[in-house]
Amino acid sequence: MLKILTTLAVLLGFSTTAVADYTMIVPQKPGGGTSQWAQIVATEMEKYLDEKIILKHIRGARDIPGFNKFHNDLRFDDKTLMVSNGGNGVAFLQEKVDYNYADYDSIGLMNLNIITAVQANHNPYGGKPTSFSGGGGKVPEGIAMTLLKCGDGLTTSEYVACFKRTVNWIKGMKGNERRLAFKRAELDGTRENPASFKKHVQPVIDKGQAQLWFHHGILQPDGSHADDPNYPGIQMETLFYAANKTKPNSDLYDAYKLVKSFRDGLQKAIWVNKGNPNRAKLIAALEKVSTNPESIKKIQKKVGKYEWMLGDAGNAQVDTLMKLVTPKALKTLVEFNTDAFGLKSIYKPEMVAAK
Amino acid sequence: MIEMIAYLLAGVFYGLIIGIIPSAGASTGLIALFGFISYFAGEPYMGVIFLMAVVAASTTGDSFTAILLGIPGANSAAATMVDGFPLAQRGRAGYAISAAVTTSTVNGILWGCLVFLLLPWYTNLIYILGVPELWAFTVLALATVGFLSNRYWFRTILAIAFGIFVGMVGVNPDNNAARFGAQYWFFLEDGIQIMHVAAGLFAVPELTRGLFLKHSTADGEIRDGELWAGIKASWENRWLALRGGFIGAFIGLLPGLGGQMADWMAYGQAVASNPKEKFGNGNIKGVIGPEGANNAQKATSMITTVIFGIPGAKFAAILMSLFMYLGIELGTPDIGDNKELFTSMTFGFLGATVVVALICMFLIKPISKLAAVPYKYYFPVLLGLIIFTSMQYTGGWEDLAMLAVFSCVGFAMRHFMFSRPAMLIGYILAEKVEGLTLQITGLYTVETLITRPIFMGLLVCIIGILIYSIMRKGRIDYA
Repeated sequence: MLKILTTLAVLLGFSTTAVADYTMIVPQKPGGGTSQWAQIVATEMEKYLDEKIILKHIRGARDIPGFNKFHNDLRFDDKTLMVSNGGNGVAFLQEKVDYNYADYDSIGLMNLNIITAVQANHNPYGGKPTSFSGGGGKVPEGIAMTLLKCGDGLTTSEYVACFKRTVNWIKGMKGNERRLAFKRAELDGTRENPASFKKHVQPVIDKGQAQLWFHHGILQPDGSHADDPNYPGIQMETLFYAANKTKPNSDLYDAYKLVKSFRDGLQKAIWVNKGNPNRAKLIAALEKVSTNPESIKKIQKKVGKYEWMLGDAGNAQVDTLMKLVTPKALKTLVEFNTDAFGLKSIYKPEMVAAK
Repeated sequence: MIEMIAYLLAGVFYGLIIGIIPSAGASTGLIALFGFISYFAGEPYMGVIFLMAVVAASTTGDSFTAILLGIPGANSAAATMVDGFPLAQRGRAGYAISAAVTTSTVNGILWGCLVFLLLPWYTNLIYILGVPELWAFTVLALATVGFLSNRYWFRTILAIAFGIFVGMVGVNPDNNAARFGAQYWFFLEDGIQIMHVAAGLFAVPELTRGLFLKHSTADGEIRDGELWAGIKASWENRWLALRGGFIGAFIGLLPGLGGQMADWMAYGQAVASNPKEKFGNGNIKGVIGPEGANNAQKATSMITTVIFGIPGAKFAAILMSLFMYLGIELGTPDIGDNKELFTSMTFGFLGATVVVALICMFLIKPISKLAAVPYKYYFPVLLGLIIFTSMQYTGGWEDLAMLAVFSCVGFAMRHFMFSRPAMLIGYILAEKVEGLTLQITGLYTVETLITRPIFMGLLVCIIGILIYSIMRKGRIDYA
């Protein structure tokens, strides 16, 4: 009822900004995955802040303009927070962006994972190429399956050739089309975040029509990846070792570690400007959210069962990620993106200099 | 439940007002909501109820201006106006409005039940169709719009092509590179936004047109006994009303058509089935025929919109985008599992159809007076809403520039009789056409495609439409 009155008030020309104590910048339009997550988190945080958090959507290509605007203008306001996602992390590595994680303090972030599956009758290591929905957001999956299919000890250009031979990278598919195509067995493989996987892929597996393939693991403070307790035993590195009797050790593997960490390690994050005086209050509110079973249930329904990294632990996560940035890994990532996936990406030497 | 009813009533109120305002209507009313839709982000299904109520109520509201002022709300009641306005001029406005509302409501409930209650079942269709069938179905939608929607088919094809081009501005899904101007202007990288395209193509030209429309207000006095006479006329012409509903429902099912085509076809069947009677001078059958079609068409056009994400009509294209803002994507595999969505849509559409009918019947006199408020009072409010809505993307000058550009395009297309709905449908379907083309070429070969009977059947339909359009002469002008 309050919402109706608010809507009517706005329709009559009143601004709601006056009652907003905090503004949370979301870099995409309402209704997107990150936007829905931000809406849930903001609503839950409000309960402990005794202040309002109003979402401000600043949209743009690949969610970049909103984050840029935060970096260039909005972050200097102590009442402004920023929500970012894994796509921002990947763009930070290989696209021209203004934002820089080193300039912000973390309020909290969720360290997530992506899980893949293939059709039950499809052998990903032999026979016909694996058809898989491609695109910029699936780069870690594309590299992981190349490493798993092609084995160890190849040069990047040999991996590119192997990828083209063994993977049918289907472009132009949105998430819902991918899910549908996998259910109809038009695609051999698919990938989802844990919550979506449970909803869309697990039922297909339960019917015996699909099987788990691999996941990327969960980023650890030392830069390694640990097995995901939700889907144990199928981490990419584990499967690679089982097939090759050696740990993956190539330029492409370094590029893979880099890109998967920046995507999944920063999958959902909240930031404020460095030195923001409200930070402690915001962290305290988020801490209460993260320990409230009801709040956590709502958030986990959206992204799955993963822990929060609050405050300085979030800052430490950024430090960990930056340790993975090397010139070779960055160059290999750009090369593989361009030659294998046909994606436009650029090498950013300033990334290395900024370490 | 109280909240649901409150949103339903809010939607009915807004939809009725927007329907009554000359030259506004469902599409303009929906476009104006882009600026406010994020207020439903926490309760998306309340937003669904509100939006469905707006759609249902504006359809009924349209009839008031068509009958009382001789100008349709947004063309959807143009056919009703032909005989409705002369009736009002003769002092029988209450009779015409009552017959229109009764017919529209009955068909709305009938087709609304058939569509919305069975919609979850229809969604199973999506598992039968694969990428090739969806590609062919999308091309079929463009072919029906291009060749069947009006007689200016060459101009319509150009409008579709331009719509597809506008829809492709932004990032190339093949390589993530900016294209078609987006490489020079970052604002365009996320594509051209629907609020600018829809507001420029429709809202601004139509609202401006309203300023220059000259109309002679009919005798808006509602006399006692007229309401009952209108209900009685609907009952006496029930088969005509049901035939109108059937025509509306059929046209609504064809992807990309809808709108006034259904109304005029229903009007045409009313004329054809009564060869000895005169029409155009206040024949109640000329009101009942098209009024049977408009609500039915709105209901059935939601089938392709919900199941395949292919908008059945102009309003559905805008509605689909608004649903995206609520986090509800239509045409997805799990849409059939979303019980709350179907419940909300059913409640919103059917509830609003009933409520608006009751309001119209009981408050017919004040509503008639509302319709007589000079348009100059509505115009600045509506234009302000449209500008506010267009500023919701970045809030910068670029938003206004895009609104200005597409307003010019809208004025030019209207003047030179290029189909604006065709352009909008092309724009909406551009992403789908490109995506599905990439998918079909990646996943299938000619050898595998020819083994798919539904795909081949749809191809035959597309070719049939092309041949039929070339052979056909003497088409009706719906432009």
